[in-house]
Amino acid sequence: MLQKTHYLIVLGIMFNCFESLSQNTPKKYAFNNPGNVCYFEYLIYAPDGNYSNFLRPHIFVLCNEGEEPAFAYQQDTLKKVHQFYDYMFVYIPNNRKGDAQEKLYCIEALVELITFHFACTRENLFFVIRDPSIVSLGNDPYDLNRIFKETRYTIAMSDTVSLTESFKETKIVYATGKEELGTFYVEPEKTDKQETYEPAVKTRTYFGAPTRFDYTLTGTVTDRSTGESLPFVTVEVAGTSIRTKTNVDGSFSIPKVPTDTNTLVIKYVGYNPELFFLSPTSPAHISVKLSSGRYLQTVQVFGYNEDIVLSDDEDISKIKLTPEKLEKLPSIGERDIMRSFQLMPGISAANESSSGLYVRGGTPDQNLILYDGFTIYHVDHLYGFFSAFNANAIKEVQLYKGGFESRFGGRLSSVTEITGKDGNHKKFNMGADISLLSTNFWMEIPAGDKFTSVVTFRRSYQGFIYNTVFDKFNTSDETEAQPQGPGPQSTQTDVKSFFYDLNAKATYSFSRKDKISLSFYNGTDKLDNSSSFQAPSFGGSTSSFGVSSIDLTRYGNIGMSLKWSRNWTDRIYSNTVVSYSNYYSNRDRTQQRTFVNDDGTDDTTKTGIIETNNLQDYSLRSDFQWNTANFSTMEAGIFATFYDISYTYSQNDTTTVLDKHDQGLLAGGYLQNKFKFWDDKIQLIPGARVSYYNITNDFYLEPRLSFSVKMTKKLSVVASTGKFYQFANRVTREDILSGSKDFWLLSDGQSIPVSSAIHYIAGITYGLPKYLFSVEGFYKTTSDITEYSLRFNPSPDDVSYSENFFTGSGYAKGIEFLAQKRGGKINGWVSYTLSEAKNKFDVYSDEYYYSGYNSTHEFKAVAMYSYKRWDFSATWIYATGRPYTAPSGAYTIELLDGTTQDFFTVIDKNSIRLPDYHRMDISANYKLLGGAKGEKKRLEIGYLGFSIFNLYNRTNVWYKEYLIESGQIIETDVNYLGITPNITLSLKLR
Amino acid sequence: MNLKRISTGILVFTLAGCDKEEQIAFTDSPVIEGYEHPGEVFSIKISRQVPFEEDVQYSADDLEALAISVHSALYGQTYSLTSIGGGVYVDSTLVVAAGDEYTLIFEYNGKAVSAYTYVPLPPQNFTQSVTSIQIEKIEIGSGPPAGGGGFSQPEPIEFKWDNTDESYYLIIVENIESDPEATVDFGDEEPPSFSFRKTPTSSNSEFIQAREFQYYGTHRIILYHVLPDYAALYDDSDNSSLNLTNASGSVTNGYGIFTGMNSDTLYVEVTD
Repeated sequence: MLQKTHYLIVLGIMFNCFESLSQNTPKKYAFNNPGNVCYFEYLIYAPDGNYSNFLRPHIFVLCNEGEEPAFAYQQDTLKKVHQFYDYMFVYIPNNRKGDAQEKLYCIEALVELITFHFACTRENLFFVIRDPSIVSLGNDPYDLNRIFKETRYTIAMSDTVSLTESFKETKIVYATGKEELGTFYVEPEKTDKQETYEPAVKTRTYFGAPTRFDYTLTGTVTDRSTGESLPFVTVEVAGTSIRTKTNVDGSFSIPKVPTDTNTLVIKYVGYNPELFFLSPTSPAHISVKLSSGRYLQTVQVFGYNEDIVLSDDEDISKIKLTPEKLEKLPSIGERDIMRSFQLMPGISAANESSSGLYVRGGTPDQNLILYDGFTIYHVDHLYGFFSAFNANAIKEVQLYKGGFESRFGGRLSSVTEITGKDGNHKKFNMGADISLLSTNFWMEIPAGDKFTSVVTFRRSYQGFIYNTVFDKFNTSDETEAQPQGPGPQSTQTDVKSFFYDLNAKATYSFSRKDKISLSFYNGTDKLDNSSSFQAPSFGGSTSSFGVSSIDLTRYGNIGMSLKWSRNWTDRIYSNTVVSYSNYYSNRDRTQQRTFVNDDGTDDTTKTGIIETNNLQDYSLRSDFQWNTANFSTMEAGIFATFYDISYTYSQNDTTTVLDKHDQGLLAGGYLQNKFKFWDDKIQLIPGARVSYYNITNDFYLEPRLSFSVKMTKKLSVVASTGKFYQFANRVTREDILSGSKDFWLLSDGQSIPVSSAIHYIAGITYGLPKYLFSVEGFYKTTSDITEYSLRFNPSPDDVSYSENFFTGSGYAKGIEFLAQKRGGKINGWVSYTLSEAKNKFDVYSDEYYYSGYNSTHEFKAVAMYSYKRWDFSATWIYATGRPYTAPSGAYTIELLDGTTQDFFTVIDKNSIRLPDYHRMDISANYKLLGGAKGEKKRLEIGYLGFSIFNLYNRTNVWYKEYLIESGQIIETDVNYLGITPNITLSLKLR
Repeated sequence: MNLKRISTGILVFTLAGCDKEEQIAFTDSPVIEGYEHPGEVFSIKISRQVPFEEDVQYSADDLEALAISVHSALYGQTYSLTSIGGGVYVDSTLVVAAGDEYTLIFEYNGKAVSAYTYVPLPPQNFTQSVTSIQIEKIEIGSGPPAGGGGFSQPEPIEFKWDNTDESYYLIIVENIESDPEATVDFGDEEPPSFSFRKTPTSSNSEFIQAREFQYYGTHRIILYHVLPDYAALYDDSDNSSLNLTNASGSVTNGYGIFTGMNSDTLYVEVTD
């Protein structure tokens, strides 16, 4: 009942919003004041929705006598012809009595007014006269061609064919925007209007008849300021449903452009939308440059369009993000890509201790993370509080929340595809950020016009934020029962913990056809909470004795890829990647005793826990894309990954408890085809992926299907389904004190089976120029998932560790709502997710129980506001408390040496929930500008950011700890971070 | 603005719809503590769990009046244990023997509680590298010993035994003097315990460093041959809600430890 009410409320809300929002309807204006001989009301209609650009051809329509302009507008079919998409239509009433001369008396004055004194010359002004009394007079009796390039007399406004043919445009060159390096800040006008439209930086340069029809066009899209190619940019033919996206190298190919006078609309998150006007003289391969957000007031997380048609409505469950404007969102230390995704529906935000993504009930290891083509196995720093991805090194991130295409595989839940920056193509650039968490330095070095490179490096320092988080883990009581070393305890705790990450990339473009890039990433955390004691060597002796308590964890990921992409023809593109990725985690919690003898030799013994995990992934993949026909694009590829994973767990330097070493080969291919029917309004992508896994010696088939229909220009319906397999699993050992909780193991087909999932997703998207609404529902089942517990599973006869891999199944279902306001001074979004994720492991219970990170309700709100050089933002997150397991009772056992140990008995797994999680973060950024004060346009050289995490200092419970004291169980809450301020200074050369 | 009103609406509703905390279920299951060592009279201790919630209902079973029986495989006989108070039950006629297997059965809270164990063989060929070591006393504030004669650490003592089947062994060291002198002047600090232990190991040797001995005098070095379920106790101490699970054990319908063990003893003399 409760759930139903939720749906109704949110749907009702969305419906209300639709009504109050404006659409592209003609605008009514008055010419002169009442009483004036030339007073009348007329209509203006711009098919592209841009009413501020007057540098364009106009078609004036004089109505029939007694006809309202609104009626003429309705009758008019010209306005729907593609060719006139960039035109301005003006509908003039015919309310002056008299002869033809008198009826046309006021027209010239109106035309002069509307065209700003013929600013675009009179070459592209056309006139349609519908008055039979004038029509009957024949050819231009009143010297109308002095004003208009062409004048047509017709009674029927539906006479589209003859009218279309008669309007021959003339090529005129208007001034275009100048190329500039860097991002500029433009002082806003004092008289701020409610609605400000961006000035037309670029206008149409050709107005003439088309010469090519239904032809293939290719091109590349780059950043105007840096020359970097931009991946996954939407390129669409204005006024049609035809659209495509650039590939990872920024090139695109449209197989079916209606005419070579069409206009392309190019849109990309974080960038100003750009128009590209095709003409018969345009080359077959065009180059489009986008400028990053000079007028952009919004962080768009969705790649939807600004005002024309929906662009991403055919891609289900996809979120796109560019770090370009990310600093506008509040952050705890650094701009954080993963944390920003957590503000979207369907992705859990209540896990402060995990930067990994819990997507629709999936765990972070079920999310494939590809960085420039190689898989990254470890995504966070400092116990999960910060993500391992440096925003300065990243160009774009796409997150597929489910139902993803056949070209991705090997994971059950979702895909995060990260594209690293190539670096500035034009000029050397560098910058640095310093925050209370870390310092971050980057450099972009181009050489010639074919080579670019970028290096970024970030390292934490033991500042306020680092220590706050670190202490969360390390002030807990140590439960070591071991006796400490003897003697004067001059114990030193010398904290040497830090994290760093390094990204480097070099790209060489041989030609427009071939491009090679080498990308490298290394992120490492060293967490050290060791203490040591060294007995002095007395007198002349050289012998000494030391006891050290080691608590050292070092984990991270090294990865690199070499990528070759080639445009074989206008229709065939390939991309081949050779990559290596290595995840390592070494954990040492031991007591070490070292004795140095007089003769210099030493004896060392270690007791405690030593755990190491090493995963190596050698991969090769090759993807092909072939535009086989106007309505069909085929994508196919092959892949092979060789895994080498080892995991050892030792209790001291002689006893190895668990030692797993697996090698496996996963290889296969995929084929999918994108069909577009009915003016591209229907898109259907059937596909399949086949994998061979040598450990099980079996083939795995993953059929996938996705489907989208554009019901209207604003409303789209999408659906998808598919099967997904996972072969390398991260088993989680929730060991709070260790910091490193993840261990990757390869499925062996027995104790760790190959896990699988099936997704069913359906959604509706409704897009308006300034608002976007979407509702998406999902249902997902998972089978053969593995949980792991490194506990003894004792019987008097045996301790078997391999039995501690538990196999189970689960499901997740939910519905996600998003309402986003884009553009304007205040923008942002609200999202709500209602979901349920349950698992069943026979070892715990024969019934389904809530998975440990499932929040029934999640609500998130993001608001941003810009005022002059300031950007303000606030986010608020609310989530139902996560499920947990509490003790029902406890007991104490006396061990043989007289010490005691506490044990708990527990209630049903995850049957109760922590208090609800909620938190507000705010931030304010002040742009730092170069150039002289008082100049209207100044180069942005960085920003000074202030943010407060957990503004109202909400005490959010992370987990609970239990101790047995004098016959009672004492429960202690361990909480997440309280109010935490941060300051960031970011500077760049240009 | 429209959206704001909306979000407040959603929010209020969402907050109102929170799940209520469920009651924590408590089942009164017995806790068994039984270490069966050869030569000793068979004995176990039964206790109740400490409940998490205050107002739980215990079963009507009387901890002092349970009908507990144990079957010995060696003697092929079932014994009824006698309560001697404090939850401890014994049978003075049943003396634990190496190689014997015991099956414990009793009724508690309407359920049949059972546990099984056996007594392993004594450690074989338990040897030590030295029988005594000399450790210089460390006095706080006194600095290095005068004379410059050098300060030397004795070699660690190595203990060895046979372990062909990688079963578990545990060393416990006890100072058996009545009032031993410490090897280090601990000043105002609390003196350490007279005994210490190593971690259970499945290897066939163990080193004890000289400085692990914190008192002078005779030390008893007991090498226990333990079963895996006992070794498991040392690793089973999670106490956070993130990974709380029932403690592992081999008792059916109950908790705790019921395990057989065997031992051998050596002595080390620590002198000044």
